[in-house]
Amino acid sequence: MFGAFPSGSLVKNTTHKVVVPFYLYAALSFLVSTVLLLLSTEAFTQHYFHPHILALTHGMALGWGTMIILGASHQLVPVLIERSLHSIKLAHTSFWLAAIGIPLLVYGFYVFNMGWPAKWGGRFVLLSVICYFINLCVSISKSKSRNVHAYFVLAATAWLLLTVFYGLSLVYNFTYNFMPKSSVAYLPIHAHTGVIGWFLLLIIGVGSRLIPLFLISKYKNDRLLWIIFFLINAGLISFVLIFLFAPGNSLFMLPVIAVLLGLMLFSAYCYQCYKQRIRKQVDEQVKISLVSVLMMLIPLIFLVSITGLLFSNDISGRMALIYGFIIFFGWITAIILGMTFKTLPFIIWNKVYHDKAGLGKTPNPKDLFKSRIFSLMVVTYVAGFILFITAAALANVLLLNIAAIILIVTAVLYNMNVLTVVNHKAKML
Amino acid sequence: MNVVTNNNIKCTIALAALENVIDPEIGLNIVDLGLVYQLDFDEEGKKIFLSMTLTTQFCPMGESITAAAKRALETTFDGEEVILNLTFDPPWNYERISEEGKKFLNY
Repeated sequence: MFGAFPSGSLVKNTTHKVVVPFYLYAALSFLVSTVLLLLSTEAFTQHYFHPHILALTHGMALGWGTMIILGASHQLVPVLIERSLHSIKLAHTSFWLAAIGIPLLVYGFYVFNMGWPAKWGGRFVLLSVICYFINLCVSISKSKSRNVHAYFVLAATAWLLLTVFYGLSLVYNFTYNFMPKSSVAYLPIHAHTGVIGWFLLLIIGVGSRLIPLFLISKYKNDRLLWIIFFLINAGLISFVLIFLFAPGNSLFMLPVIAVLLGLMLFSAYCYQCYKQRIRKQVDEQVKISLVSVLMMLIPLIFLVSITGLLFSNDISGRMALIYGFIIFFGWITAIILGMTFKTLPFIIWNKVYHDKAGLGKTPNPKDLFKSRIFSLMVVTYVAGFILFITAAALANVLLLNIAAIILIVTAVLYNMNVLTVVNHKAKML
Repeated sequence: MNVVTNNNIKCTIALAALENVIDPEIGLNIVDLGLVYQLDFDEEGKKIFLSMTLTTQFCPMGESITAAAKRALETTFDGEEVILNLTFDPPWNYERISEEGKKFLNY
């Protein structure tokens, strides 16, 4: 009877018990980081190598960005590779190692103690990433599906591993001085392997899968995604090599151009997905994520303008601080603010209504969070972000404090909505 | 919506039941979305064969949608066993969306 239709198989979702702790931890980290931002506003008028700035950067990069991306990817990797996650135990271990390591590391930087707090913090984070990397590699090796999205995630995780290992080496270099130069000299490599290798590759890999899915788009172009994959990886590898072996060489613009080209092509990919969408009405969360794709270009254009200064060791500390702020509080935060309320409600909906769907009318996942709080969060976020950049450019501490307080409000609203979603109880309409 | 069936009357009842199964991401029911390919009923009235698809094989809500479709038929046809065949051949495409569905999506 069904001979004409070969059976398909469904991807087993990762249990919410693995994913939700990552989201909650990230939400709390965002709040803590905005408080750290308020405590560090004075530092924004000084050089970027400042203990408070280092603490804030790692709180944002690891506690906020990495934790939520790890949580979401534990949910999304099975969808990308069409196979269940290899080990739930490894996923839990990865969470707890990072959960212990990140506060230690942030504390170590804040008080600038490169002894046991920073070292143990770094070790725990490294072990956490190793657990995730093993879990990912085994899951992919057992999967029959090889698609471009999975390769993006794999490459991104390899870059994360390298970034964390390199970062820990820099912490050791403070004590043992085994590198030719001081750790400060190597920070651009650590920062860019993390931002471009980990965040950018992962966001493009997952985003290129999710954006057409959410828009129900007819557009598909794996070839373009492979070109983007090549451009960004080649750009980053050449950046590291030029930085280490030919500093000051005029070739340094090549990696910047390669990554910029990759980003422009990804923007074009997103635009085509949007243009060829079947679903005409786009919800707010996806709109924010699409806007954040354009926001990727801002730090890179900023980078082009300061790269020359960077290589001539004459960089304006304030420019570098604004560059970092745009990356972590701008681009990465915008994506997370949008995508959290696109992915988390689904995870909780699946948990709460899995056994009830089909028996009557259930709320939609988008009904699980409060849209008014979400809108207010977006307004405060945009206001706080723009005001902070302006205040940092003017080196005005009063305005920096006001902007930081507005961003704390954003984080509080974000946390409120995350808790609303996580605590949702079943109700039939 | 082109659903293949061997029993038009039962198929109409089944489709009405399946209209209660909503794709939670899109907010549209699986019948108007064109996810139902085939509905067959055995002569003894003991088994229902449902062949359906998802908008994408990567659909994270796939488990919930298929479970809900099965549950909706089991509730409507009490005592009958539902055998669900999930297929991606042919893959779903937007042309399968009904006129009602297109209106819903403003397409």
